[in-house]
Amino acid sequence: MHVPQRGRAFRLLAAMGLAISAVLPGLSASAAEGDVLVLKGGTDQKAETLNPWHSVTVLDYEVFTLNYDLLVGFGQNLEPVPGFAESWSSSADKMTHTFKIRPDMKWSDGQPATAEDARWTYQLVLDAVASEAGYIGSGYLEPYLTNAGIASVTAPDPLTLEVKTEFPTTLLTQAYVPILPKHIWEKYTLEQIGNAEAEGFFVNEPPVVGTGPYTAVEWESGQFIRFERNENYWGKQSAAAEVILETFADSNTMVEALKSGELDYIRGVGADQFDALANEPNIATAEGFANGYSYLSFNTKGNTEGYGGSTSALADVAFRDALGYAIDNARLVDATLAGHGVVGNTNIPPYHKDWHVEPANPRKFDLAEANRRLDAAGYTRGADGKRVDKEGKAITLRLTWPDSEAEMATNGQFIQGWFAELGIGVEPAVTEEGKLLDDLLGPPDGEANWDFYMWGWVGDPDPMSLLSFFTTGALGGSNDSFFTDPEYDDLFAKQQRAVDATERKGYITRMQEIFYEKAPYHVLYYDSELHAYRTDRFGGWTNQPPDSGTPLFGYGPIGYTVLTDASAAPSPGPSASAAVTPAPSAGGGGTSTGASDSTLLIALGVAALVVIIGVGLIAMRRRTVTREEE
Amino acid sequence: MSGHYVARRFATAAFTIVLIVLINFVLFRAMPGSPERVLARNPNVTPELLAQTRARWGFDKPLFPDQFVRYVAATAQLDLGYTFRGRPVADVLAQRIWPTVLLFGLGEAIAIVVGLALGAYSGWRRGGPIDLVGNGVSLLLYSTPYFLLGMALLLIFATGLGWFPTFGMSTTGATFANPVDWLIDVLRHLALPLTTVSLGLIGQYAIVMRSSIIETLSEDYITTARAMGLRDGRVLRRHALPNAMLPTVTLVAINLGYVVAGAITVEVVFNWPGLGTLTVDALASRDYGVLQGVFLLLSVAVVLANLAADLVYGLFDPRVRA
Amino acid sequence: MSASVTTPDAFGDVPARRRLASSGDLFRRLLRRPDGLIGVVILVTFGLLAVGPDLLVGPLQTAVTAVGPRLSPPSAAFPLGTDELGRSLVNLTAHATRISMVIGLLATAITVGIGALLGIVSGYVGGRTDAAIMRVADFFLVIPTFVLAIILTSIIRDLAGSGAREVFGIRFGLIAIVVVIGITSWSSTARIIRSQTLSLKERAFVDRARAVGAGNLHIMRRHILPNVINLIVANAVLVFAGAVLTETTLSFVGLGDPFQPSWGQLLDASREVGAPSLGAWWYFVPPGLCIVVVVFAFTLVGGALDDLLNPKRRQRR
Repeated sequence: MHVPQRGRAFRLLAAMGLAISAVLPGLSASAAEGDVLVLKGGTDQKAETLNPWHSVTVLDYEVFTLNYDLLVGFGQNLEPVPGFAESWSSSADKMTHTFKIRPDMKWSDGQPATAEDARWTYQLVLDAVASEAGYIGSGYLEPYLTNAGIASVTAPDPLTLEVKTEFPTTLLTQAYVPILPKHIWEKYTLEQIGNAEAEGFFVNEPPVVGTGPYTAVEWESGQFIRFERNENYWGKQSAAAEVILETFADSNTMVEALKSGELDYIRGVGADQFDALANEPNIATAEGFANGYSYLSFNTKGNTEGYGGSTSALADVAFRDALGYAIDNARLVDATLAGHGVVGNTNIPPYHKDWHVEPANPRKFDLAEANRRLDAAGYTRGADGKRVDKEGKAITLRLTWPDSEAEMATNGQFIQGWFAELGIGVEPAVTEEGKLLDDLLGPPDGEANWDFYMWGWVGDPDPMSLLSFFTTGALGGSNDSFFTDPEYDDLFAKQQRAVDATERKGYITRMQEIFYEKAPYHVLYYDSELHAYRTDRFGGWTNQPPDSGTPLFGYGPIGYTVLTDASAAPSPGPSASAAVTPAPSAGGGGTSTGASDSTLLIALGVAALVVIIGVGLIAMRRRTVTREEE
Repeated sequence: MSGHYVARRFATAAFTIVLIVLINFVLFRAMPGSPERVLARNPNVTPELLAQTRARWGFDKPLFPDQFVRYVAATAQLDLGYTFRGRPVADVLAQRIWPTVLLFGLGEAIAIVVGLALGAYSGWRRGGPIDLVGNGVSLLLYSTPYFLLGMALLLIFATGLGWFPTFGMSTTGATFANPVDWLIDVLRHLALPLTTVSLGLIGQYAIVMRSSIIETLSEDYITTARAMGLRDGRVLRRHALPNAMLPTVTLVAINLGYVVAGAITVEVVFNWPGLGTLTVDALASRDYGVLQGVFLLLSVAVVLANLAADLVYGLFDPRVRA
Repeated sequence: MSASVTTPDAFGDVPARRRLASSGDLFRRLLRRPDGLIGVVILVTFGLLAVGPDLLVGPLQTAVTAVGPRLSPPSAAFPLGTDELGRSLVNLTAHATRISMVIGLLATAITVGIGALLGIVSGYVGGRTDAAIMRVADFFLVIPTFVLAIILTSIIRDLAGSGAREVFGIRFGLIAIVVVIGITSWSSTARIIRSQTLSLKERAFVDRARAVGAGNLHIMRRHILPNVINLIVANAVLVFAGAVLTETTLSFVGLGDPFQPSWGQLLDASREVGAPSLGAWWYFVPPGLCIVVVVFAFTLVGGALDDLLNPKRRQRR
């Protein structure tokens, strides 16, 4: 080792460091974007697929509805609007459905887009359902067609698509299936399209060919997808020439990026961050009803043969009903969601405003009433104050939730505290998601070794899937409370075939009543969708639907197409969002402390710490040295 | 450096890699959760379909030897299986490794130069003002988890002062007129995470180098050299430094394994698209295939780095060379 | 996240006289050094806090028993402010001290237990046993133990079942973390103890014991162990610092338990709720400071003990 060389290298590095640090702060953020207006969105979900059949997350759905058209789209009020098809009609028996495809429509690569493409796409679903696997990709899309009872599909001419169904239905206009270009996709087998681990899997690498308003042109898996405007798009073009959807592992970083203008739109912010963002300049927030809910599910088979519940009481409606009086849903909304949600009751969230009904006799939080009902139902207290079941065994319930839903731990603390007042022990503990799914299985696949647990469901545009979780047919699948009720099953079949909305509403109303009375779940709350966006670069933000939705990440790409250039015309401001956004909870105050304050405080704190420890060290070292040198 | 020494180092490294591959196999089988869970929370999937899938996924072959042989063969061909969402793990790793190499390669380089220089000087001038301040700061940096340091820097310099961008490795989707603009963009994104990594490592390396120098200075030959009237600076550069460097080099290599923990948290704080962010994402989505791949990749990388350090050590240490 | 600030080879041969010095003597000498004294004072303070948080701040507040407003900054009623459930950060930080210190203590006990046992056996028995143990030690020394720890935590929790049961007042989910830290970080201890054992083995008193017919087990327990105990203590102090840091990082990536918040869990919770972007510094500064100060103190004490036990560094002055 030659020392002088090392010295030189060191000096060189030091000089480079100096140069870099001198250059950096002086530069402006806008490196070189030209005049192109780019919409940058941030989300906590990962951009992991461009093949729509493998969609699972909200982001996946957003990506494929930007790339492709649905046969029938969703309008600003979630009404059916022209998509790949220009118009549609059904026969009198509602079993033959005819879709007229738009003439002269082109794919983004210039090829003509015709009814044959739509037929090929729907036939792919029929083939997949008939195949050995029985599904395609992640299995999320084909049920939109099978639930509608699709039997066959034909394209008698390039502008006409005809679909026949097994029973009368109106669900085909809600089918969330993207129409794909046959000339690209037909080169691949069903296996290569549907199975990501198959040889020659069709990744659908960019540039993606579609008829949607944008086409994906760049993709770093798990990081971002960049879209460019589809110049062949048949509909209204948006002001954004490009759209970038980017993944963030930490919501703090995402919020900071929105504040600094590095992002225009974010989804997946925390409730407190949402409240604070509402006070930031040039930032608007949108609180949408989520099409879903968080729930507490009981093992309603209790400890019957083959089921591993710890007590027979779980199978007793009176017991579950009484516990409902010991859950303060409003408090959970305040504490867990910082107020950004609605107290839960039935299995159809208020998002479905045409279908949701409020229970006639809602349970009110009242521990005395809960105790009274438990006494009345025959669950007496033992000498130690603990309630015992009908077999004389003290009741201690195991409460769990998947580790993917960390905020459930807060609900767990509350439930443990409230049930303690009833003399019922609760042992709360989180479970790894995959293990929980295994644990939940009932006979014959599993032992249902659990008492009650918390998770959430997200629904479709139609309430069908949300209703299905309590049917006998869903046992072994999504029926995770093992609840069965003949009347409920009967009503489910009837509502599926009801083509008259009023008739169907009647069935669905009764189903919600049964659900609420028999209490296989206690729905804890309907959590809100919390989004925030900048108003200084883009205008024209419109919620979908206007009274209870959000501008983006709704149903279809309509929110993108109505955007305007904010610098061209002054933005009218966030028209609808204010109406749905409740005032931040009064208790806070703390959240108003600006970031600059905290910066200063942190800097001061760090400096103080360094000084204190430094002084201490110097003092003591000095003494050490003196003494030891004596 | 004798052939025997080299052979033994290679044998040790090979043994360790075999052990890593073995452990990886065992861990992979012990992971909770079953592969059909992507279907299980799909509200529209029928029970029949679920049951069918469960049966299809069930391991039909015995764990040993069939599955083990298949696993070893696949691993040898760098086939690391698939992510939860069906992407080849090897592809994902290949995409994420370079940002981490960039960030931590530079971080290590800066930390080694600054940390070792600071440590050497502190040890040489033990009790002097540089030592007191330097050692105190080093200890303090060593005691601070990387992510705390990163969060503080982010809040002060990106959010508070707005000098640097808050996330990523470059401005997504930006087109650059020339490579210099691109380089500047990357450097601006790199500044804060790199500072965090370097500061965290400087503390450790300075502490080690300092004690190493102090130890070396107590050796007889140094005392002799000084007694012979050699100038202090010359003693330091010619005798003390080279010898004190040796244990430190080993430590830097060994430390790579620990650095990973810091890498993971720093990358998350700055949304740096490397292996650390990938690990936390995989943990959050319980993508164990990815975690396995990260473990395998990092382990082998650290073993190879150690092997390299051992060989370098062998080149310079007279005792080994003999 | 290094648990090995000391180089494995830092401990040379120890002269017989000081080797036999009592631990009490060592402790007195430690207190006579300012860095040792400051470190010990800090550690004793946190130790007391860890023993009786209930006496000082009352029982751990839960979502149900919390009384404060949501995320309020420090005030007279809440000197360190509140979290998103309205719990006092004073209460939380004090209880987190207990959790972090107990986890650190248990993890250190396992780490040092395994390390010392294997180190003594390896050094004393020698031969193939030594080679085998040291290969495994090398393995754990080089592999990225943090990623391994993440994977192992999931597996152990899966195997161990319900996380609600408690051991040593710590919920089972956290015990998994303790075990994982123990399993993955014993190797540097083993190496240090081994090299010391190697030199002790050649000493006259070991020969004498062997001559009067003492068995290997007896010699290891009665003659080797007492003479490496000081070294074990010095190493344990550094291991403790590493364990606290590892626990913090594991909790930070979401493997903690909100029912028993440690410092790392509080940091993770503050990040989850968005405290950094909200400017709610009172949420993450107290636990963050505690981590830095405690690890700093452990490192000071560890360094001081290292100095005292290492003859080379003393001679040189």
